[in-house]
Amino acid sequence: MFAALLLSSTMQARTFDEIIESNKLLVSVYRDFPPFSSIVEGQPVGIDIDIARAIAKGLGIELVLRWTTADENVEDDLRNNLWKGDFYHKKKSDLMLRIPYDKAYSQLRDDIGELVHDRVHMFAPYHTEIWQVAFNSKRLESVPTVAVFQYHDIGVEVDSVPAFYFTGAFRGTMTKHTKHFPTIALAAEAMFNQQVDAIMGMRSQVTALVANQPEHFKLASNGFPTIGRQQWDIGMAVKSENRQLSYAIGDVVTELVKSGKLKAIFERHHAHYQKPEYYQP
Amino acid sequence: MISAGNKLKSVAALVALALSATVSAGVSDKDILNDQATTHDVVSNGMGLKGQRYSPLTHINTETVKDIRPVWGFSLGGEKQRGQESQPVIKDGVMYITGSYSRVFAIDVMTGDELWQYDARLPDGIMPCCDVINRGVALFGDLVIFGTLDAKLVALNKKTGKTVWKKKVEDYKAGYSITAAPIVVKGKVITGVSGGEFGVVGKVRAYDAKTGQIAWERPTVEGHMGYIWKNGKKVENGISGGEPGKTWTGDLWKSGGAAPWLGGTYDPEVDLLFFGTGNPAPWNSHLRPGDNLFSSSRLGIDPDTGKIKWHFQTTPHDGWDYDGVNEVVAFNYKSGGKTIKAAATADRNGFFYVLNRENGDFIRGFPFVDKITWAKGLDKNGRPIYNEAIRPGNPAASKDGKKGSTVVAAPSFLGGKNWMPMAYSKDTGLFYVPSNEWEMDIWNEPTAYKKGAAYLGAGFTIRSINDDYIGVLKAIDPVSGKEVWRHKNYAPLWGGVLATAGNLVFMGNPEGYLMAFDAKTGEVKYKFNTGSGIVGSPVTWDMNGEQYISILSGWGGAVPLWGGEVAKRVKDFNQGGMVWTFKLPK
Repeated sequence: MFAALLLSSTMQARTFDEIIESNKLLVSVYRDFPPFSSIVEGQPVGIDIDIARAIAKGLGIELVLRWTTADENVEDDLRNNLWKGDFYHKKKSDLMLRIPYDKAYSQLRDDIGELVHDRVHMFAPYHTEIWQVAFNSKRLESVPTVAVFQYHDIGVEVDSVPAFYFTGAFRGTMTKHTKHFPTIALAAEAMFNQQVDAIMGMRSQVTALVANQPEHFKLASNGFPTIGRQQWDIGMAVKSENRQLSYAIGDVVTELVKSGKLKAIFERHHAHYQKPEYYQP
Repeated sequence: MISAGNKLKSVAALVALALSATVSAGVSDKDILNDQATTHDVVSNGMGLKGQRYSPLTHINTETVKDIRPVWGFSLGGEKQRGQESQPVIKDGVMYITGSYSRVFAIDVMTGDELWQYDARLPDGIMPCCDVINRGVALFGDLVIFGTLDAKLVALNKKTGKTVWKKKVEDYKAGYSITAAPIVVKGKVITGVSGGEFGVVGKVRAYDAKTGQIAWERPTVEGHMGYIWKNGKKVENGISGGEPGKTWTGDLWKSGGAAPWLGGTYDPEVDLLFFGTGNPAPWNSHLRPGDNLFSSSRLGIDPDTGKIKWHFQTTPHDGWDYDGVNEVVAFNYKSGGKTIKAAATADRNGFFYVLNRENGDFIRGFPFVDKITWAKGLDKNGRPIYNEAIRPGNPAASKDGKKGSTVVAAPSFLGGKNWMPMAYSKDTGLFYVPSNEWEMDIWNEPTAYKKGAAYLGAGFTIRSINDDYIGVLKAIDPVSGKEVWRHKNYAPLWGGVLATAGNLVFMGNPEGYLMAFDAKTGEVKYKFNTGSGIVGSPVTWDMNGEQYISILSGWGGAVPLWGGEVAKRVKDFNQGGMVWTFKLPK
């Protein structure tokens, strides 16, 4: 009986009081994921790092970062980081950043009708993301529509919507011009080295990647017909019992958004910022 | 609490040292090649490199098996008890097993006492796809060699458990790991690698078993260069498949998947390694028109150079996650007075294939599960005749991100047979195949995200086809294609099979029973509850004139990781972690 009690108490998330008392906020961020979270010269750097720091500061406690390798999808990441813990040590975090804020996703039901995400609470959208093309204007005058990629090579990250889009849509007419790279940063490097004429990825990443490059690397303003989700909001998640923590963090994030501090964080990392509709008056 | 290094139980170890000092000369290539015929030891995965899992021992037989009883049990300990898929090996009075979380144990086979334990120091951030299992060790010389979840090969001294050499096979940060038992052929330890779903390229590698120096490396995706090391120098050794792009679209061959994650077998008669390969990447088959070689294939590989001598692709242009990794078992049979050098394999896709193992030619193929919907049959070359209606749809083609229609495909992606090895008895001429009858629903899932980005996912769920069983142990005649008997099991089968000359077939089930069947009729002759689900493979050997049977018990593996209806069948099975050893009373 005693053992069972001990076991169940360690299985639960830390309560808000325990977190504040411990003076530490454990926050999961993705490993090697600029401009959001990465290590540069031994120091954690990025948009999500700055946001995590601001949240810890807002709660008046210390930040402890936990780096996580992205699994096959966000559902796996939520399991590994928040409610079950990692494969080996079973360590859990209090908060995870870069989680979609999407009602259809948070209310998703599985094949037997159960809520997929009932173990976590998703909240506090902090920016809005869309797909973005950047191109080399010395190789390609403009990108009025994606049809130009029937003739020009475009670099994409493997196993991403841009990769599926250019290899799967339009009856495969762009397949042979779609070049796959392990990351969008490597695709951008290939564009800077004249190996591909354009790249497509998330706007935050693409804008940050071309920010300090020569002027002829430009952002396009084309649409993406039939791509499905055109834009989506990014927020954060805690374990579902931890609503109290989410309210406290939600207040901090609202202040960050409304005061313009969040926009300033994005600008500091050369990424375009779009405020989520949630905060529109 | 996993501590690195190992602990040596000195008293027990001294006893073992004394015991082995008189007989131990180290495991040689000859010992490994003769493994199946020599009954006093088990020195390779598969109980012989052909992987027949057959023993000529007869003390325990259909008459006597009812009297066998446990002589010792050994706990793998730890709070993190997970699936135990290891096959024990036994040499000079010592049993070597692996446990979950990349652990190795040496056990005194007379008493069940632990001699030493090695716990790999695993880093944070390993991403094993399907439980933290390991399938066993290879023995060579004085070394005990195994692969770790962070994709290293480790060779331990068999007496002390101390590391002799350690090699990084791949980078675990890129999603690689090793769970299969390596094999040793001609002094080389040969291993494949497990990989995540995307961005990886499968490779088979050979290392000098004594030193860990790499000998050759063979990519299993068309278009990638193979290498051989000559006098320490890395030399190009031919592109797999000749050139890129023959059976792939665009540059997708660069990240084609096809990981050979289950290891391989070897047949000295034709001097070839047989390795199977995983499914191609990306998962959406509509993005990669073509056969996508050498995904979902069986490869005949030269053990000296790593050259691919033949290939046979069981599921060209796979769209169902039908890995082609299942073991290739060499066997001979007579036809019209001629000896046919054949090899058999029971694929995830539900078909049983008999191939010419000299050249990979298709001899025959037939379903070994009751329900196959994705293909209407096989053509004369063994290529599937697709049922295109059962190919999962293209999420990129769905109109503005609407959920696509559901396709019901059988077998499920966990396969008509998964990793669990079958056995072949030369006495009955039958294969004993641990199979599962289940199907899957697949649909496009546009409400998906990956690393903060919108994503086009696919939803899967596995369902049983019958109310009263999923698992079926089948006795199959590889020449006629006929099923001779079947034994149904409520839960899906996930453990290996052993056949003996005592007219017996042994297998464990997830309900926890070690069972013995009459090899000719399938009648259950013995069952014993080991206390946790069995997903390991039984072995048998003799010493001091007595025959022993050993098996690991410890529920886990991929099955409990999948939700839906199948999870309901197995959710009450308890974790464990034991070796059970049986013999007849004196």
